[in-house]
Amino acid sequence: MAQNRREFLKVAGAAGAAWSLSDAWLAPVSAQSPKGRTGPWRTWGTDALKQARGLGCTYADIRFGRKRSQALNVRNGQLTSAGGFSFGGFGAVPGGGISDTFGFGVRVVHSGVWGFASSPIVSADEIGRIVQEATAIAKASAMAKRFDVKLAPVPAYDEFYETPHERDPFEVPLEEKLAVLTDATDAIQKNKQILFATAQVSFSQDWKFLVTSEGSFIEQSLYYCSCGTSATARSKGQVKTRIYTPGASTAGYEFLVKADLKGNAERVAAEAVEHSLAAPVQTGLKDLVLKPSHIALTMHEIIAHPTELDRIVGYEANYAGTSFVKLSDLGKLKYGSPLLNIYADRTHVGGCGTVGFDDDGVKSQRWPIIQEGRLVGLQTNRETAHYMGETESRGCTFANHWRNYPFLRMPNIQMEPGKPGSPSIEQMIGDVKDGVLVEGSGSFSIDQQRYNGQFGGNAFWEIKNGKVTRMVTDFTYNAITTDFWANLDAVGPPESWEHHGMDGDAKGQPVQSNYPSHGSSPCLIRKVMVGAAFS
Amino acid sequence: MSYSREEVKAITDKILNMAKADAVEVDFQGGERSATRYANSSITANLIEHDQQVSITVYYGQKSASTVTHQFDDASLKTAIEEAQILAKRKPDNPETMPLVKPPQNYVPVDAVIDRTVNFGPAERAAMVKKSLDICEKKGVVGAGYIPKLHWTTARANSEGLFSYFRYAEASFILTCRTPDGTGSGWAGQTGLKDVNLIDPVSITETAANKALKSQKPRAIEPGDYTVILEPRPAARFLSLLMTAMDARSAEEGRSFMSGAERGQTKVGQKLFGDNVTIKSVINHPVLRQSPIGEDGLAAQDVTWIEKGVVKNLYYSRYWAQKAGKAPTGTPPGLSMVMDGGTTSVEDMIKTTKRGLLVSFFWYMRPVEAMSILYTGMTRDGLFLIENGEITAPVQNFRWNETPVVGLNNISALGPPQPMHTGEAYDQPGTAMIPAMRIEDFTMTSVSPAV
Repeated sequence: MAQNRREFLKVAGAAGAAWSLSDAWLAPVSAQSPKGRTGPWRTWGTDALKQARGLGCTYADIRFGRKRSQALNVRNGQLTSAGGFSFGGFGAVPGGGISDTFGFGVRVVHSGVWGFASSPIVSADEIGRIVQEATAIAKASAMAKRFDVKLAPVPAYDEFYETPHERDPFEVPLEEKLAVLTDATDAIQKNKQILFATAQVSFSQDWKFLVTSEGSFIEQSLYYCSCGTSATARSKGQVKTRIYTPGASTAGYEFLVKADLKGNAERVAAEAVEHSLAAPVQTGLKDLVLKPSHIALTMHEIIAHPTELDRIVGYEANYAGTSFVKLSDLGKLKYGSPLLNIYADRTHVGGCGTVGFDDDGVKSQRWPIIQEGRLVGLQTNRETAHYMGETESRGCTFANHWRNYPFLRMPNIQMEPGKPGSPSIEQMIGDVKDGVLVEGSGSFSIDQQRYNGQFGGNAFWEIKNGKVTRMVTDFTYNAITTDFWANLDAVGPPESWEHHGMDGDAKGQPVQSNYPSHGSSPCLIRKVMVGAAFS
Repeated sequence: MSYSREEVKAITDKILNMAKADAVEVDFQGGERSATRYANSSITANLIEHDQQVSITVYYGQKSASTVTHQFDDASLKTAIEEAQILAKRKPDNPETMPLVKPPQNYVPVDAVIDRTVNFGPAERAAMVKKSLDICEKKGVVGAGYIPKLHWTTARANSEGLFSYFRYAEASFILTCRTPDGTGSGWAGQTGLKDVNLIDPVSITETAANKALKSQKPRAIEPGDYTVILEPRPAARFLSLLMTAMDARSAEEGRSFMSGAERGQTKVGQKLFGDNVTIKSVINHPVLRQSPIGEDGLAAQDVTWIEKGVVKNLYYSRYWAQKAGKAPTGTPPGLSMVMDGGTTSVEDMIKTTKRGLLVSFFWYMRPVEAMSILYTGMTRDGLFLIENGEITAPVQNFRWNETPVVGLNNISALGPPQPMHTGEAYDQPGTAMIPAMRIEDFTMTSVSPAV
């Protein structure tokens, strides 16, 4: 067996050489999804951690990972290699091909400092080399240390978790997937005023096997799906794209089927045309009726991010930013109206941020963030829990890839629906004299402490005297976070609650993506400044 | 991990020999990304990521499919090739399929590897962190910084005999200093440097720390149209917005600012910006030393995008060039980008400004309206009021809504170009030569108390 990469390449590069990395396991692993408790992971993990302990590490973990992904993008009935409108498609390469990546990462604490190294060459020798490298990195960094890493305790687990799903998307024939997308773009293009129609779907399966020096052996198999369509119309020089997307979800192929892309095509096309002919919204203070498909991103930016504890204590000061929330605000800060109830949740079935365990080996949980408008909780992980005096992690450590180091990432952050009998969306509209009904995500920009946000959307309807009158365009609104939520005047009932997943959320250096979901019922927000971006 | 030309060629040759199809393409990427990240004056992440991958594309007539694998053993390559072959045969014809790029391609020789940058390791990074933290402590500020290093190889080979290879190493040092009371913040950084010796942690820390101290307790002033002096980092971010509109296909399809009056027409040849706006891609620029390999393995060539305010070229992909009867551009707009500068230093710009703002950083820029390239964003990490030629006060950050179409018509002074990253993050190549610029009538629309 080759002992190092250079030797391996020499052999691998020899034309026709029948060479394999394997102890008879890699080929099957590359050819089919690993599942269950077989393979060398447990032994290799145990040996790696023993080696790390021998090198003087006070903590170590090794995370094996395999990520398969596929993205299909159709434009005007043709499969294309161009990306769609989605944020990231789970890192999949558009065009229908399969991306398959396999490797491992080793994380250690030595001399009170983190060290991390990763490699795609999965062999006992390489694991040994990477453990040494991670340890050397930590040791070399101790000269700049000001204080030691402090980790909250965690119980040991020996468990397997798999995303509930009905159908493995990688076992569905290509033709079947493609037909769903081409049927959708064909249906959109029946409207002759449409310039372009697109449909896309991304699938991903993340397999992980985590072994920690706390005694955990945790295997997870996570399935993700995101999909949607778009219709682009041009009238009188105005080009508008209407997007239909149910978002993203931890789910199998069934998510694409339930999305009913074709069934929404006619409406999406008609609304694209109407939007391209629409007049600009009038600037001023207006009441907003926001659908869950829109609120998801606003919640993400001005509730979920500012309540990440690592941001609050300054870990992201150089990139994503800090937060207007201070540790001393816990239990005191009036975040919004008494109708605002927010919870964090890594257990919600279908949630993009739903897992069995985080990448610290902490079991998934649900906990309150805002209760009746008051800030009561934050997102923590093993490394940051002590900042707020907690002795246990909330389980928010996540790495996007085996290649990447894990750090604090948001879980699903959801808004509780209103009580049964709360105003329906129709009743909210009926209660608005001068306002806008907003659907979908559009432009979004927020300052580095999450005070000042400017949000667009994908479709906007004017509301006058309790009635929806027409589509409008050039819509943005500005929100100062606590003022905006203080004006929350109605939250729809439980039956109107929807969650919307995101397949991209950038944070960290090097930047990594994260996939949270944000659920809510429709909301009515009073007196919001509208249209300033265009005035 | 380092990949020599011979090692990479052995792998791509092997794949080309294994795959059975009308045409085959292999894209190789591999190398090492290392980084030290610190905050609260202590290291929070310290890593080395080794990775390698091949993307294998097989063609049967106009059908094609790609698969990606990170394992180069026979079994894994065979699996990836077979998966691509099966997928390609089952896919519909793609009328936009182009024939493979044929050799020879005259790649401009670019030497982008300096050994001391390749060998820039965790101990050297930690020494920089310590040096920086010591200054931060002396000055009474809290440092949060990022020191990434990328040593990466890209290659493309195809069954026509094409083989292109490019290896580079670059490093950056990016720092934000904040005052302990949270009322002041300052940024400084150097990005995309091929020679790690050019990184000056002392100067970067002094600049960021002094900005943080000077920006404490900012006061709110009214939104409105301001003269702004953009230091090279916000100037680079602002300029990058324009480059998103340089695609010929979007323009000819009528869905971009560069679209002409009729479908199929563009604004090439029109004077859309000020006389002082000239933007090029310069392959083998002595500082940038970026990839000489363009789309599908075409040799990248120097391109003038805008000259003295006139749009000279848009980017034609191979497919769209064929459709439009033009030559493919080869060079994407962001590659080795250079904007001509002037001779006015930031200090001199301040001295000659009656009332305006000095901007250290732009943040969270996002599109608002595509056809006018209208974007919104925030100022961050040091915003200062200028009155009668002097900085008179730190001011609270602004949200702006502006388009580079207007901004690049209102440039009243330019500084000498400096290497500066154009992207929001610093993890991919994307450094350009960008001057500081003074822009008149820049629209600030609302205030934020964020620091």
